[in-house]
Amino acid sequence: MRRITVEAERCAGCRQCEMVCSFHHTKMFSPEASRVTVIKDDRLGLDYPLMCRQCNDCPPMEACTAQAITREEGVVKVDRQACIGCGLCVDDCRLGAVKLHDGRALICDLCGGDPRCVARCPTGALSYAESPEFTETPWEAFDRLKEEWGMRD
Amino acid sequence: MTRVYGYKGNLLRIDLTEQTYEAERITEAEMRGYLGGRGLNAKRLYDEVGADVAPLSPENKLIFGTGPLVGTMFPTASRFNVSAKSPHTGILGDSNAGGHFAPEMKFAGHDQIILEGRSPSHIYVYVKDDQVEFRDASAIKGSTVFEADGFIKGELGDRRVQTVVCGPAAVKGVRYAGLFANQVRAASRTGMGTVMASKNVKALAVRGTGHVEVAEPDGFERMALELEEEIRAHEQYPGRMSMGTTRILMMANEAGFLPTRNYTSGIYEDAHMVSGERLAEEYNVKNRGCFACTIPCSRVYSVREGPNKGLHGEGPEYEALGSFTCRIGNNDLELALKAIDLCNQLGLDVLTVAGCVGWAMELYEAGELTAEETGGLELTWGNMEALQELIRLIADREGFGEVLADGSVEAAKRLGRGMDRTIQVKGMDLIMADPRGLKGFGLGYAVASRGGDHLRSEPFLELSDDPEIGRRMFGVPESTLRLADRGKGRLVSYFEDWNAVIDSLEPCKNIMQNMMLLPFERAAEALELATGLKATPQEMREAGERIVTLERMYGVREGVSRADDRLPSRFMESPLREGASCGTVVDLDLMLDEYYAERGWDPATGHPTPETLRWLGLGFAVKDLP
Repeated sequence: MRRITVEAERCAGCRQCEMVCSFHHTKMFSPEASRVTVIKDDRLGLDYPLMCRQCNDCPPMEACTAQAITREEGVVKVDRQACIGCGLCVDDCRLGAVKLHDGRALICDLCGGDPRCVARCPTGALSYAESPEFTETPWEAFDRLKEEWGMRD
Repeated sequence: MTRVYGYKGNLLRIDLTEQTYEAERITEAEMRGYLGGRGLNAKRLYDEVGADVAPLSPENKLIFGTGPLVGTMFPTASRFNVSAKSPHTGILGDSNAGGHFAPEMKFAGHDQIILEGRSPSHIYVYVKDDQVEFRDASAIKGSTVFEADGFIKGELGDRRVQTVVCGPAAVKGVRYAGLFANQVRAASRTGMGTVMASKNVKALAVRGTGHVEVAEPDGFERMALELEEEIRAHEQYPGRMSMGTTRILMMANEAGFLPTRNYTSGIYEDAHMVSGERLAEEYNVKNRGCFACTIPCSRVYSVREGPNKGLHGEGPEYEALGSFTCRIGNNDLELALKAIDLCNQLGLDVLTVAGCVGWAMELYEAGELTAEETGGLELTWGNMEALQELIRLIADREGFGEVLADGSVEAAKRLGRGMDRTIQVKGMDLIMADPRGLKGFGLGYAVASRGGDHLRSEPFLELSDDPEIGRRMFGVPESTLRLADRGKGRLVSYFEDWNAVIDSLEPCKNIMQNMMLLPFERAAEALELATGLKATPQEMREAGERIVTLERMYGVREGVSRADDRLPSRFMESPLREGASCGTVVDLDLMLDEYYAERGWDPATGHPTPETLRWLGLGFAVKDLP
């Protein structure tokens, strides 16, 4: 399965992915309307772009009482008509990669197979390729890098 | 009126005394005339903070402004200016920073936010979209910049909140305390943190859930993509990625204008020990960028062994790195990093600290300042233990720190000696480039509207030492020879106008100016694609000139004239003795004559003439000419 992967050590936290994502989907610039959100720790100088990583089993899909979250050709999709904005999916995503915007669930749709955030990432922190499921949350990545790079709190 | 995009069109005016607020519309004429950011801030300050206002009185206003390109995918458009009357210099105060604060202002719906009056209790101001809360900050009054930022994000329960914070030095009234976004993105010059603290405010926190729309989305995206490609293909790309501005240190040393031991030399024998190259190789672990940046040139460093193990942080940039190494004769890179980190935490402007400490060390070494007067501190070159202690004393305004807490001019007055050794213009301690090796920079320092500073002009083309460029662009071959004095009036006024435009549209000058990516032609195009406002390249330059001239008038109203457009005497009297810039001094008067002529200012007084003011649409300022 082709998935977006993240190398936290390379993310510079510029949030151009948020701009590119919202622009691609709405023609406007808005972090709220972006399906990717960069998590930042300014004290450590660490950053992590968070978006749906296409887990094999998807708790939000199971949690959705309106059956608005489905998988089409392997890609998680939100049916905005069916979504009732209850937010159960937000709570159930293991990564915290689902959010509500305008009262509807917002999830990465891989831009139809050519994710714009990957194409525009200035440091190559994002890639899109055949890859296993994610193994590390942003917070785990921060802990690992903090340890690896010998940083105090 | 047709709809203007790019801008949010809003000024949020916050009255701290009454704890009320209101939104005002920014007019299309204001956008066209002053573009945004620095330009529009200058206009507000001119209109609202007159000569009768004391910098630390409630009548001073703290103005945050960002530009029409910010909050989009336009590469590097991430910056804001913060302006007020400066408590450090008494004239125009203005400082610029990147990070993520400026786009958050836009997403919250504001191009400008003005803090006025004085809060009856110590607070922080929280702007959430169009709502404002005045929140108790008594628990963080004395907190460091890092602690305060963490506290506010925690209390609001929202990590996406962006803050601009002042540190404990500002609260104690140190006159050159800065404001810090994302903890280390410092708008640190001219004492803007001091002004915030004087208003009983610890921080401005902003969270925006809105959006920015541009006039021509497809064309705008095309320009962004073009710029991204040009940035990546640029010859400076690898060096900036690995070192940011710290790459300058070795270049400046080779060219012999690296300020060493308070500008007593232009070369530092241990430069290689404190270079950007060494920082990159031994300490840097990753890059970090401001919002929407294609060339994230900030770097995170970590000290992984030895006595300073565990020390980590972001940056530093060249000015701070040089400040605490060559400028004070210190060759220990880690101790410099530690001192910079301490200044960031306490909220101090590193350049001014180094200006004051370098000055004191020179006096001490010359036997004109004794250990008795410094409270036992041995201010020999490179004594980093003493520096560390002195930084704390300055931030607390205690002991010898009290003497240095208002800048080098006030320190010299207090001691009653050493004024000739202060390295400042109009009271602002200089940056890190010796003008004896960069004559145009020297002129730029002398006339900069906020005092001794390079970022108003930064005429880097003289570093090319290529007379052909000077002939082609300015009609004077010498204008782009760094050791020549001729042609610099034209060079500097061009760069001043250009920088004013960039500072007002608010992308990054390092990239858009230094890498020559946003000349007036393209700036006009970017403005139109973003906002729908049409302007010719000539009109863009005129907007720049209008901004520079209005800032000059702000100074003139405070009493500034040609007599104040001076450089420290050593630059005009004593040549450097060694290195690639030795043997010459700055012929400032020749350059000033050219510069005033270029600007249409009176050569005798340095005041803009009434005709010049009217021609630029600044007729309202004629009444303020002496």
